[in-house]
Amino acid sequence: MADNHKMWEELGMNLELHDQLCAVLPQAVGDVFLTQENRPEGMDYYDMVVADIHGIRPSELIAHQEKGGKVFGTFCVYVPDEVIFAAGAIATGLCGGSQFWVPGGEKVLPTNTCPLIKASVGARLDRTCPFFRIADMYIGETTCDGKKKAWEILAEDVPVHVMDLPQMKRAKDVKAWAEEIAALKNAVEEFTGNKVTAENLAESIKLINHKRKALARLYECRKSETVPISGTDALVISQIAFYDDPARFAQMTNKLCDELEKRIADGVSVAPAGTKRIMLTGTPLAIPNWKLHNIVETSGAVVVCEEMCTGTRYFERYVDETKETVEDQIDAIAERYMGINCACFTPNHARIDDIIRLAKEYKVDGIIDVNLKFCSLYDTEGYFVERALKEEGIPVLGIETDYTDSDAQQLRTRVSAFVEMLNN
Amino acid sequence: MQDIQHYVLFPNHDNAMRLYRELKKLGVRAVIAPTPRSASKCCGVSLMVEENDLGQIKETAEEKEIEILKIAEVEKDFNPRRDRYC
Repeated sequence: MADNHKMWEELGMNLELHDQLCAVLPQAVGDVFLTQENRPEGMDYYDMVVADIHGIRPSELIAHQEKGGKVFGTFCVYVPDEVIFAAGAIATGLCGGSQFWVPGGEKVLPTNTCPLIKASVGARLDRTCPFFRIADMYIGETTCDGKKKAWEILAEDVPVHVMDLPQMKRAKDVKAWAEEIAALKNAVEEFTGNKVTAENLAESIKLINHKRKALARLYECRKSETVPISGTDALVISQIAFYDDPARFAQMTNKLCDELEKRIADGVSVAPAGTKRIMLTGTPLAIPNWKLHNIVETSGAVVVCEEMCTGTRYFERYVDETKETVEDQIDAIAERYMGINCACFTPNHARIDDIIRLAKEYKVDGIIDVNLKFCSLYDTEGYFVERALKEEGIPVLGIETDYTDSDAQQLRTRVSAFVEMLNN
Repeated sequence: MQDIQHYVLFPNHDNAMRLYRELKKLGVRAVIAPTPRSASKCCGVSLMVEENDLGQIKETAEEKEIEILKIAEVEKDFNPRRDRYC
């Protein structure tokens, strides 16, 4: 544990401020995770990762850098990890899911910016996140106006490469995204000094697909009438997927799925029969944002699916592994990533179709459409989401929230009433 | 009388996970947890264990040459409805 402090000091972190986060994490983890009953044994790996979230993986990333490797920090599910890993580099998620980092972001961003962006910028500028300190370059994207301006602020401090994500899904937009991926490849090659070849790109496509398949298997288990894992546990696994070594993550998640499949066969459930099944849809829930899952699951319901970036958007569909040239591989990567349905696209009917499809696949009783405060894209799209769900006869509750604890009691009241309505 | 929870603290996560695996083999209950603030100022992995098992835990650590920093006693204070997130 003493080693962590030395590492953080060498990373130039603000130890005194960071210590305030260290002080509250154990209690929150205890309240949210360690109070759950009948958790799968395979959660032990993820418990370890969370218990030392700013120690274990950061030290691995630093070891990679000491061997001459580069680390790229990413913020979004549209950034293709395949290209980064092909160049012998590592892609990692960055901090952005805690109210702890928000005031730091508000020093330079308007208050009416979404908490995810404020927290990310604050974590960097306040020097309280090791991942932000370690990453040699950040890869941004143009998924919203707030992020676009945030990259400009961060670029004064760290090298930033921004990918221009098209906002429509015509054939020419998919082609434009392929060009952006080719530009990313060039930037990564120049920064690392390593060439992306058809061979190493094929290998990394398989690596990232393998991770997606492990997550898909986890989510397949969640479709079962027998609920083998809580939504809160599944969420933290999705959150860790952004940071962990992809091969090890897939291995540990597959190991957990062996246990979950056995639980399903044996009828071992974390929720009593008849517990209402909830799907969350909307804005991402970055680690350690566990508020809504915890509230839902301590209000008599269970979360069985997330149509979110920290959920199905991250792993559904695979990159075609049969392509043999870098150009064709990049086209295949563009095809896969342009199939993600984010509210930044117009029109975005495919996301509504996804939500309805998922509601059926996961046999949900109700949906909570959750929107991070000041995310105008998801907030506006909520109009279509909620209208379509009403037409389908699927009960829906729209919620706007942020990272603070101040609305927790109000959320409990609303979620409890929603669950009670489902039960009647 | 307060409910007390016992935590085994380690110099690093490798030692924690080694002891965790050994205890699992022996059927001794241990839960991986972040080190509670009142036990140490550092973030890191610790093991929540039962008081009755402490003797066996210490013996196992010694036998397997697993380094333990200390065993801390902390008041049990988890509440899933506290709504204090981080």
